[in-house]
Amino acid sequence: MEKSLFRYIWTHSKRDQILVCGVVLVSQPFYFASLDLPRQIVNQAIQGEAFRDGQATAPFLPFTLSLPGWLGGSSWHIFEGFQVGRIGLLLGLSCLFLFFVIVNGAFKYWINVAKGVLGERMLRRLRFDLFTMVLRFTPEALRTVKSSETATIIKDEVEPVGGFIGDAFITPVFLGMQALTALFFIMVQHIWLGLMALAVVAIQFTIIPRMRRELLRLGRLRQISSREFAGRIGEVLDGIEAVHVHNAYGWERAEIGHRLYQLFDLRLQIYNRKFIVKFVNNFLSQLTPFFFYSIGGYLAIRGTLDIGQLVAVIAAYRELPPPLKELIDWDQQRLDVQVKYDQVAQHFSEERLAPILLGKDEAVDEEPLGGPLVAEDLRVADPHGGMVLDGASFEIPLPAEVALISGGSAAASITAQIIARRMLSFGGRVRLGERDIAQIPLATAGRRLAYAGIDPILFPGSIRDNLIYGLRHSPVGKFKEDEREALRRIKEAQRTGNPIDNISDQWIDYELVGAKDEEDLDHILIDLMKKVGMGTEIYLFGLAGRIDPERDPDFAARLVEGRQRLRETFQAEGMGDLVEPFDPRQFNDQSTIAENILFGVPTSDAFRGRNLAENPSFRKAIDEAGLFDDLVHMGIQIAETMTEIFEGLPPGHSLFEQFSFIGAEELPEFEAILRRRRGSDDSLTGEDRTRLLSLPLAYIEARHRLGLIDSHLKVQVVQARGLVRTEFETAEAGVEFYDPAKVCSAAPVRDNLLFGRVSYRVANAQARVAEAIAAIVKELGLLEEIERVGLDRQVGTAGRLLTAQERASVNLVRCLVKRPDILVIDGALAPFDETRAQQMISLLIELGRGRSLFMVLPNERQASGFDILMRFGDGKITTETKALQAPGPSEPNAAQAEEIAGEVA
Amino acid sequence: MTLEAEVQSLRQVPMFKDIDPARLKLLAFTSERVQFADRQRFFSQGDTSDSAYVILDGRADVLLTTPTGEIKVAELESNALVGEMGILSDTPRSATIVASEPTTALRIDRRVFLELLAQFPQMALAVMRELAKRLEQTNAKLVAKSGS
Repeated sequence: MEKSLFRYIWTHSKRDQILVCGVVLVSQPFYFASLDLPRQIVNQAIQGEAFRDGQATAPFLPFTLSLPGWLGGSSWHIFEGFQVGRIGLLLGLSCLFLFFVIVNGAFKYWINVAKGVLGERMLRRLRFDLFTMVLRFTPEALRTVKSSETATIIKDEVEPVGGFIGDAFITPVFLGMQALTALFFIMVQHIWLGLMALAVVAIQFTIIPRMRRELLRLGRLRQISSREFAGRIGEVLDGIEAVHVHNAYGWERAEIGHRLYQLFDLRLQIYNRKFIVKFVNNFLSQLTPFFFYSIGGYLAIRGTLDIGQLVAVIAAYRELPPPLKELIDWDQQRLDVQVKYDQVAQHFSEERLAPILLGKDEAVDEEPLGGPLVAEDLRVADPHGGMVLDGASFEIPLPAEVALISGGSAAASITAQIIARRMLSFGGRVRLGERDIAQIPLATAGRRLAYAGIDPILFPGSIRDNLIYGLRHSPVGKFKEDEREALRRIKEAQRTGNPIDNISDQWIDYELVGAKDEEDLDHILIDLMKKVGMGTEIYLFGLAGRIDPERDPDFAARLVEGRQRLRETFQAEGMGDLVEPFDPRQFNDQSTIAENILFGVPTSDAFRGRNLAENPSFRKAIDEAGLFDDLVHMGIQIAETMTEIFEGLPPGHSLFEQFSFIGAEELPEFEAILRRRRGSDDSLTGEDRTRLLSLPLAYIEARHRLGLIDSHLKVQVVQARGLVRTEFETAEAGVEFYDPAKVCSAAPVRDNLLFGRVSYRVANAQARVAEAIAAIVKELGLLEEIERVGLDRQVGTAGRLLTAQERASVNLVRCLVKRPDILVIDGALAPFDETRAQQMISLLIELGRGRSLFMVLPNERQASGFDILMRFGDGKITTETKALQAPGPSEPNAAQAEEIAGEVA
Repeated sequence: MTLEAEVQSLRQVPMFKDIDPARLKLLAFTSERVQFADRQRFFSQGDTSDSAYVILDGRADVLLTTPTGEIKVAELESNALVGEMGILSDTPRSATIVASEPTTALRIDRRVFLELLAQFPQMALAVMRELAKRLEQTNAKLVAKSGS
């Protein structure tokens, strides 16, 4: 990163800066003319100087070029002008004034836009450069770099820098020109008044920056404090579990409170200082008019200065303070952003960064990574200086299955990391075939090497997105985009040093995994997931997932078919009472009242849960159906029961969460509503009714058994469905209605298959229904489609929506799907118990036939299937080749192994 | 049949007869009412004890698995409580329960039941009293047996 901000700006934007500066220069004569016109209007037209000698007309718009006195004072008349009368001159000059106002405005508009665009481009470049540096942080630097601080630097701290970049060169030029023009104009009018103004300006320019030095120091402190504040919030959030476990709320709150106080205190000091400076600045600006009025007025009275001149000087001076003030502000901003830039540059200092990343455009080696893996004299020290590896050497012919038996020492894991190129700072040499492993191009390593560490790193997105993360090295196919838009995008990217790749392009390299298309790839992914024991989970995720019938009409149709088949099966096998189907003409005892009324699934929050009770369209519909009073009455009964039976349970008790319609904190409010109502129903306020209405919406007769629903109400509810539908068809679409012949895209696949609710009344109904669904799914061949839906399951931030085992499985499959030549497993099986881990190991060996597998194992118990055992002790490595499974990539053996692998993929 | 009716049934169970009506209502509300078809199993011997049942309507057989097959050792009728020992002592089911006709029962979840006991000492005392009574009866039977 450039040390100086100005150099950075100049290197990357000099063309634009010069262009804008040029326009600023061109605009100046117009600006000058607009300053001169008021004087002409007053003197020539109003006071009639142009008609002094009894002339009836005067020239308008004469154009004369004259040399100053010291150059001979000769002049050429280029255009004599129009001869006009006094009123004509006045109007002519006034219109001219208006014209210049507009021209000046237009110039200003263009310059402002150009500056804004320039600043934004530079900000984009700066942010992208910083992000590129984020990718280059060395593993060592990453121990001290906080992610939240880095994020706040790239997002917030450079923002003012970007805003300043547009102004960096242009503002001083533009404002300086303006100020100089005004000053020059005053000078021309009256040299002494001009010198006076100049003197005050000089004072302003010496005192104010001095006073602002302290402000800069405070600003720097504030920047660091804010950054640490952001970092601290990130830390607390990341470690929230520890905060909960150790009840550290008090401490953390006090800590954050203290930081906020510091920030406040700094801001306060900044304010004090800033407004003092402002005060002095304003005072100095007003000092000049004081001189003008007093001295200029005196001179005018004495007759040495004409009034038109004085008015013009004062008018010109009105133009002087704003550019001056802005110029001083600019200077302040300059120092400010320089400080910020320095702080940012420090965060991304060279010693924290690895060498520049290349590898995007490199070709991947066609040859698999192979040849003997030879390590010589490996030396690695732990953070305390002890030697973990001390002159260790080994030689392994690849491909081979190697178990690194850690025996509790860190050496095995470190060796694994060295082989996987995860660790760069070690002594000695590691060669793979002819090459040093550090020399393997990045593109080749990314394609042919895989490493699964103890922490599975997942990105937010679907399981599929995570599984194919390793297949997106560079775009392999073009997405059809609008040509003009594409041209614009690429041009902007080139101007700002950004990549020109489009993320909508086809990035997934299907060939890499031997897949033909998206569907084929999904096959492979699902197959691998099943192999690592995630088959059931993927199926269940699929059942809980949603589909878009428009994108996949065929699957939707088969789901509807499955729905009918399921119904038939239930009827045929006497399981009819297990599921109560959705029937447009029947009340469903197993559904909530809300679902019964809507007969559909809400797609927006305004229709979900309690919000429904406040929804005007919904209210209108149930009012029309005559349900409102009945439902409020039900609400009263529910509230009475809840307040009775949950009384005495402490707030926050898990039974509240699980069973009550009313949260513990709402209990007193509902008690108050019930007390109010004791007089009569009329004493309930509108808000009370809304709250009461929200209770029965979640009520399910079969489950809650309060006996609140009679046949009359059921009929009313069914009638209300039609009203709701007409009401919501006009309102914003927030509900997707059930249709027996269609898939409801807002409901999960499982609900779409069932198209009904499992009975609460029948023992063990859930499990029996699940079995029946599984049977139908298999019979109709829906399994695979459902599993594909399962791949859409969101993993959440850092994969937190998945269990540890699921995360580890996704991590493993992500490595396996690449079919790497060398797979390094370093603790990735930790979440699995020993039996499952043993199965996984056998599977990995099986899948990796013909390729190499390095696996860190805690002990020799699980190492039976490996060719070579590596043991670690006293910083040395000893290898033992199993006699029975002789190594050596003999030709037929390798070919056979390829075949097996091909089947797997 | 509503919650009120279930509370009436619970009151017939000796272990619950002294408990406050509001608490019984809570117990009923937090339980599930389920129907078993004829010959459907409540649970099998050796299963984990995850719930207790109160039979609201119908009958069930208690079966013991022996080397020669399952033998019926007792019959349960309305208002009988079954499976409560397992959830209190956290041991696997000691017998199999099978509905001998279409039966409705109230399924009390183990976790919820223990939480209620932890929350309301009066309930815990009622349970202890019942257990003590059973122990006393067992002792009396033992004395009678050794005396004979």
